[in-house]
Amino acid sequence: MAEAVKKQGIKEFITSIPYNKIGLKDLVSFEKTPRNIIIAIITFAFLVSFAVGVTLYLMHGHHAYNVTREHPWGLLIAVYIFFVVSSTGLCIVGSLGDVFGFKEYEMISKRAIFGSIVTIMAGFAVIAFEIGHPVTMLIYNVLTPGFTSAIWWMGTLYGLYLTFMIIEFVFLLKHDMRMARIFGLTGLLVGLAAHSNLGGVFGFLNARTISNGVFYPTYFILTAFITGIFIAFIMMGIRYRLSFPENAKRMLTNLAKIQGLLIAILIFFVTWKMLTDIYGGMPNRSEVALHILGSWTFWAEVVLAMVIPLLIILKSKGSAVLAMFWASLGGMVGVFFMRYNLVHDTQLKPLQMMKVREYQLAPEWVHYFPSAAEIMISLGGLGLCILLYYVGTKLFNLDEEAH
Amino acid sequence: MARYGMALDYKNCINCKACEVACKEENGILMGADKHRIWVGVKEIKGEYPLLDIVSSSFEPSQCQHCDSAPCQEVCPTNATYYDDNGVVRVDPDKCILCSYCMNACPYDARYVDDRTMTVDKCNFCSDTRLARGETTTACQATCPTKVRTFGDLDDPESEISVLLRTREHFSLKSHLGTKPKLFYLT
Repeated sequence: MAEAVKKQGIKEFITSIPYNKIGLKDLVSFEKTPRNIIIAIITFAFLVSFAVGVTLYLMHGHHAYNVTREHPWGLLIAVYIFFVVSSTGLCIVGSLGDVFGFKEYEMISKRAIFGSIVTIMAGFAVIAFEIGHPVTMLIYNVLTPGFTSAIWWMGTLYGLYLTFMIIEFVFLLKHDMRMARIFGLTGLLVGLAAHSNLGGVFGFLNARTISNGVFYPTYFILTAFITGIFIAFIMMGIRYRLSFPENAKRMLTNLAKIQGLLIAILIFFVTWKMLTDIYGGMPNRSEVALHILGSWTFWAEVVLAMVIPLLIILKSKGSAVLAMFWASLGGMVGVFFMRYNLVHDTQLKPLQMMKVREYQLAPEWVHYFPSAAEIMISLGGLGLCILLYYVGTKLFNLDEEAH
Repeated sequence: MARYGMALDYKNCINCKACEVACKEENGILMGADKHRIWVGVKEIKGEYPLLDIVSSSFEPSQCQHCDSAPCQEVCPTNATYYDDNGVVRVDPDKCILCSYCMNACPYDARYVDDRTMTVDKCNFCSDTRLARGETTTACQATCPTKVRTFGDLDDPESEISVLLRTREHFSLKSHLGTKPKLFYLT
C-alpha cells in the first residue's frame, strides 16, 4: 500500500476511490414493488426499534436487559457473535476469488468483502450497548492489555480485521488485485485468528464444562464458512432477483457442493460433541447436554441450519439454486439459534448450587428470556446491516468488473 | 508482604448472617442485596417429613476464594482484576468495562455487578477498609459469634491460620479445577 500511496499521495489515493455520487433522493428512489416496499418498511421498523432499545438502555443501563448474575451474557452477546460469524464467513467466501484465485468466485468477492465490513460494523454497534463501559474499554485495552484474555485478543484482532477488510475493499474498488490479495490474505488470517479467539472465549471457561475445550475455537471457523455461504446465496438471490444468470448459477452450485460437505462435517462434529458430553455422565456436563437435547431452540438450529439445507443439496446435487436461496434464509435463522444456544447453554448450570435464603428453592437451571430492549437492539443490528448494505449497493459497484 | 487466606470451620456456622451484615456495614455494600461479597449457603435437609435427617442440614459460608490461579484474573481484558501485594484478588473499578467475562469464568459465582458503579465487585478481604487501616482482621471474621473464620498470613508459619491448616484436615471448593483457592474449609 505504501508504494501505491506514495505514488499517488494520500489525498489523491482517497479521492480516486471509485464511488457513485448519491443523495438522499437516490436512496429512496428504489423500484416500488410490493416486495421492496415491505423490505423497506421492515428495515425502517428495525432501525426505529434500535433507537428505542438504545434509549431504554441509556435510561436504565443493564437493568433494561434480562441479564443476571447467574446469566451475565444475554441475547446481545449472541447477536454480536451472529454478526461477527457472518463477517468472518463472508470474508472466507470473498477470499476464494480474490485471494486464492478461483476465477469463478471473483464475481462475489467484492460483494462478500463489503458484506463482511457491514456485518462486523453491525456487530460492533450491538456490542457497544452490551459492554458496560465501551469508552473505558478503548482506553484500557491499550493502556493495560490483558494478554491472557481471549476477549482482549478477539476484540483487538477484530479491530485490525476490520481495518484490513476496508483496505482490501478499497483496492478491489480500484481494481488493484495484487494489493487486494495482500490485504485480503492478511485480513483473512487476522479474521480467522480473531474468530477462533471468540471460540476461545468459551473454550477457556474451565468453570463451564459444557463449553470448555478445543471444540468451540475450531467449530467457530467451520460454522463461519457455512454462514458465509448461506449469506452468499442470499446476497446473490437479491442481486439477481432470483433469476440467476448462468455464471451465477455455476458459482452457486459449486458453493452449494462445498456447503454440503461443510454441513456434513458440522453434523459429525455436533453428534460427537453431544455423545462425548453425555457419555459417562460427567457431572455438570452430561445433564447440561441432555437439557440441551430437550430444548426446541437446539432442534431449530439442527433442522434449519443443517438438515433442510443438506437435504436440498443432496437431492439436487447442489443445482437447486433457488431452493437453496430460501433454505439459506432459513439457515440464517438456524445460525441465529446456534449462537443463542451457544451463549445460553454455557450458562445453563448455576455455579453455586446452594440456596442462600429461607423459603427459597435450591438453584436448578438458570432461566433467561431476552428483554424488550435486548430484542429491539438486536433487530436494530439487523436493520443497520440491511441499511448499510443497501447504501453500499448504491454507492459502489459491487459486481465483478471486466479484467 | 503477606499472603492472606482464610480458614473456615464451617461446621460451627449457625447461619446467623452476622458476617453478611458486618461486611455490608464495613465495606458499604448495598443493603438488601443478595449474595454481595459474602453469603451462607444452606444444604437442604435430606429425607421426607417426618423422617428428616436433621444432621444432613449444614451451612457453607462462601465468598471469593482468592485463588492463587484465578480464572477471573486470567480472562480480564483490561487487567481490572489483579493480585495485590498481599495475594488478594482485587478489582479496579476504573478499569472494569463490565464485559462480565469474569462473572462467567469464576467457578464460585463470587462476582456481582455493583449497581452504584456499574462495575463488577467481589470480596477483597476488607483491603479497602480494615487492612488499609492497618488492621489484620476482616469484618466477617471479627463479628462471627462461633469463630467460624480465621483470617491470616499463610506465609507466616506461626500465624493462627497456618497452625490450623497444619493441625486440622481441610479441603477447598472445586479444587479439581486447579484454581488453588486460599479459602480452606476445615473438617
